[in-house]
Amino acid sequence: MPKQRNSITPKGRYWILYLLPALFFYVIFMAWPLLDSLRLGFFTGNTPATRSFIGFGNYVKLFTDETSRTRYWGAFGHTWYFFLINMVAQNCLGMLFAVILTNPTMKGREFYQTVVFIPTTFAVLVTGYLWKLLLNPVWCGDTLVRMHLGFLARPWLGDQSTALTCVALISCWQWMGIPTMMFVAALRNIPEDCIEAADIEGANAWQTFWYVKYPMILPVVGMITILTFVNNFNAFDVVFATENVNGAPSYATDLIGTLFYRIGIAGQHPIGIPDAGMGAAIATITFFVLMAGVVPMLKYTQREA
Amino acid sequence: MCFALFAQGTKESAASATEKVTLTMGSWRTDDVEQMNNLLAAYKKIAPNVDIKFQPTNPPDYNATLRLQLDSHTGPDLMYARSYATGQELFNAGYFADCTDIPGLMTNFTASNLAPWQMPDGRMFAVPFAAVSHAVYYNKDIFAKNGLSIPSTWEEFLSVCDKLQKAGITPLANGVADEWDILECFFLGMVPNFVGGASERVKYESGEKKLNDADFVAAYQAMADVAKYCPKGFESVTYNDSQVLFNTQKAAMFVDGSWTAGVYKDATFQWGVFAIPAPKGRKTAICFHPDMAITMNSATTHPEEAKAFLAWLCTKEGATTASKNLPVGYFPMINFEIKLDDPHANEFLALNAGKETDARFVWPALMDLYAPMNQAVIKVMRGEITAQKAADSVAALKK
Repeated sequence: MPKQRNSITPKGRYWILYLLPALFFYVIFMAWPLLDSLRLGFFTGNTPATRSFIGFGNYVKLFTDETSRTRYWGAFGHTWYFFLINMVAQNCLGMLFAVILTNPTMKGREFYQTVVFIPTTFAVLVTGYLWKLLLNPVWCGDTLVRMHLGFLARPWLGDQSTALTCVALISCWQWMGIPTMMFVAALRNIPEDCIEAADIEGANAWQTFWYVKYPMILPVVGMITILTFVNNFNAFDVVFATENVNGAPSYATDLIGTLFYRIGIAGQHPIGIPDAGMGAAIATITFFVLMAGVVPMLKYTQREA
Repeated sequence: MCFALFAQGTKESAASATEKVTLTMGSWRTDDVEQMNNLLAAYKKIAPNVDIKFQPTNPPDYNATLRLQLDSHTGPDLMYARSYATGQELFNAGYFADCTDIPGLMTNFTASNLAPWQMPDGRMFAVPFAAVSHAVYYNKDIFAKNGLSIPSTWEEFLSVCDKLQKAGITPLANGVADEWDILECFFLGMVPNFVGGASERVKYESGEKKLNDADFVAAYQAMADVAKYCPKGFESVTYNDSQVLFNTQKAAMFVDGSWTAGVYKDATFQWGVFAIPAPKGRKTAICFHPDMAITMNSATTHPEEAKAFLAWLCTKEGATTASKNLPVGYFPMINFEIKLDDPHANEFLALNAGKETDARFVWPALMDLYAPMNQAVIKVMRGEITAQKAADSVAALKK
């Protein structure tokens, strides 16, 4: 008997074998490229033959060269603003919808649930071009005027003061369904007796939400925040679809993602010679920003989970 | 294995005329596969033993992809070469072959058509293939209905715009949402009218003239002046939107490059092109931009065959075949009189007659100023800065 038990205790090293296949692919396709891109940030030149080590040269240039610095801090600020709008509009509304959808007296719940979720199934390019047409006074101006909404016929995506907000809201509109569904799932998991107890104690709906439901779904709130944070700091597609990779108009919608693409992958139009080392430097900084944001957030929200 | 390789080697060195040779050609013109295959099929009649395969790459990725291929010695035998600095860099790196001694190259092209693919010491790194032009597309039906004629000065152009606007028609289809088009097609298309052609451009490049002199300020001012004739909400109008606006007759004119001439081939209205007119007292010049050239890999295993193809492009016969297979709106750069089939293409080419032509202003030596100039033009059009400020902002960045 004892012998038999031994084979499944941690003393046996068999588990390594089971880990190996996954570890192999993880190292080849995730860990190694990640570490290699950290390394690449210390080099200049695009190909092994022309590559040379320049230490922190890329980082120094990024923060001292007038143009690079302006572009980087511009994109950095825009990305935070983009994240802020997503947190407020996407996640708060997602929470609101989730609370409404989990209300037991709610009628037609499945229908609304589907409506909220549908945009997430569309391709970003499709929704991007759709909104690009909708927000363009040249194509929608006449219709809006006929609806007595002429004041809405503005070049929303072409105006520096509104472009980034609009792009962020388009992203919110598309992805709202994800946090909504996750909040719905979390709220449904709250034991009925907790809510009943609050009810009996005389708590109103607002109090029940803040003091009972919210603390119990905090780990999910944290997860959503982290996902939003990571996705927003890597956002590229929505700007690509609605504006261009320069972050038009006048770099107003330039995010870290578009800046990285322009510098590290495609090169600035029309010369189009990318600077892989500088791109890797930007990616490395983004990596550390993400680490600095995610780790405390995980600690704070997941401690009870 | 070893024997096989040796056998291959000896066979190649003693290649007879009947030996089959396959060459690859790299390009950024993914739209032209059909035309290029026709061209290459025509060449096959002349050189039956040479098979050239056209393998284009997505335009924005071409430079990076080509670089990668060349660095790893998997580059194509023949390839499109970018003009000026981008091409020179690859020649300096030793990837492009020296084309100077290709028969016909130095004699059958004008100096200005050779320049974009010429090193400062005069060596050539590619054979000029095609140029693009820039002009005003106009809707002849709308012009006729409103009793308008082709303006011959910039002032007349503005008054044509004004008349169209008063008649309730959007005069210009141009927008700024995609950014590049307003600079490349409109501003750089008309800038020779304001600052002069190549002979003046070099003065700006050398610093003899300042990029914020009165002529340049006038050019920016011209952009500010046309902004009100662009579609309402032109800030959101993309290049595609502009094409649709012109094609659906919602706008009467469109300042654009020749490469889109093919887009309007099914238009339900009559259209034509006229040169972007110069201000009163100045000579109208054309921005005739050298766009494509073909070169050969210095490391190709078939240098003779590759060279023969390039030499063919320098002959009248080759250039004519090539031109016939160029998409509408791309023009041969060779000296021979070549008759194009498309009437609109001929109309475009006719604009050059008797006028000075030049490449796009920033391309030859001031490419660093592309993005700042683009932003300056857009800001002036939005009314955010004055023409003087716009010129100053670009001039300040000149090294």
